[in-house]
Amino acid sequence: MSPSLALWLSIVLGSCAQIFLKKGVDQKGADSKTGYARLLRSGWVWLWAFSFFFATALWLVALSKIELSYAFPLLSSGYVIVAVLSMVFLKERVSWMRWMAILVIILGVATTWGSK
Amino acid sequence: MESETLLHKPVPIDRQVSGLSTIALPWQLAALGAILLASTGHLVIKLGLISAGHAALPASGLARMVETLFQPAVIGGLAIYGIGTLLWISAVARRNISFLYPLTALNYVIVSVGGKLWFGENISPARWTGIGIVVLGVALLQLSSGEDQ
Repeated sequence: MSPSLALWLSIVLGSCAQIFLKKGVDQKGADSKTGYARLLRSGWVWLWAFSFFFATALWLVALSKIELSYAFPLLSSGYVIVAVLSMVFLKERVSWMRWMAILVIILGVATTWGSK
Repeated sequence: MESETLLHKPVPIDRQVSGLSTIALPWQLAALGAILLASTGHLVIKLGLISAGHAALPASGLARMVETLFQPAVIGGLAIYGIGTLLWISAVARRNISFLYPLTALNYVIVSVGGKLWFGENISPARWTGIGIVVLGVALLQLSSGEDQ
């Protein structure tokens, strides 16, 4: 697998993982010990765990060839992916203020890592 | 004490599951704790890799990977990261994910500053600028949090 394909798969899978987790905790509720145990009976939570694991593995594959200063700014595009997916699948309302905040954060990450 | 007043608040219906009401950790504490623990976990893992002298070695061979994984500080770092993940789940249960996920950019800020304090890593002026912009973005994000139901 090419490193950049691994990187993009990792970013998309990692973003989907957050949506799965939100689905799972919204369905089951999560808190204290009983809450966490209850989560094990949610298919969404298992989907989150597997996606998270494979996203991390793909990230490591990508990082063996791609520099952090390039990978981290791309990783932050996951905030946009999560926001779009949350609108579609969780009916979250993303205001213009939140979009602005996300863009500023991505700019900040790019500035942080784009500079050696 | 804030924690006491929280304990005395009536538990919302959606937090009552089969008669077992759960004590709600304030989401700010859960989210910031999750981010802080994830960053600390990374720094402790790095500490383990450095002290073991593994940092400079290529990860070639399964034996070396396993040996690296079982360094006490690496296990400790992963454990800290794991506790952070539990706190993250608890934050995700309370707030919109489109709000929470970009907050994790604070990881870069904490790891950068931690790397400077613990390992003497250099932070260039440009990188400080980037860190400032991330913090500004998080402040804007905070302003947008009142809009969630």
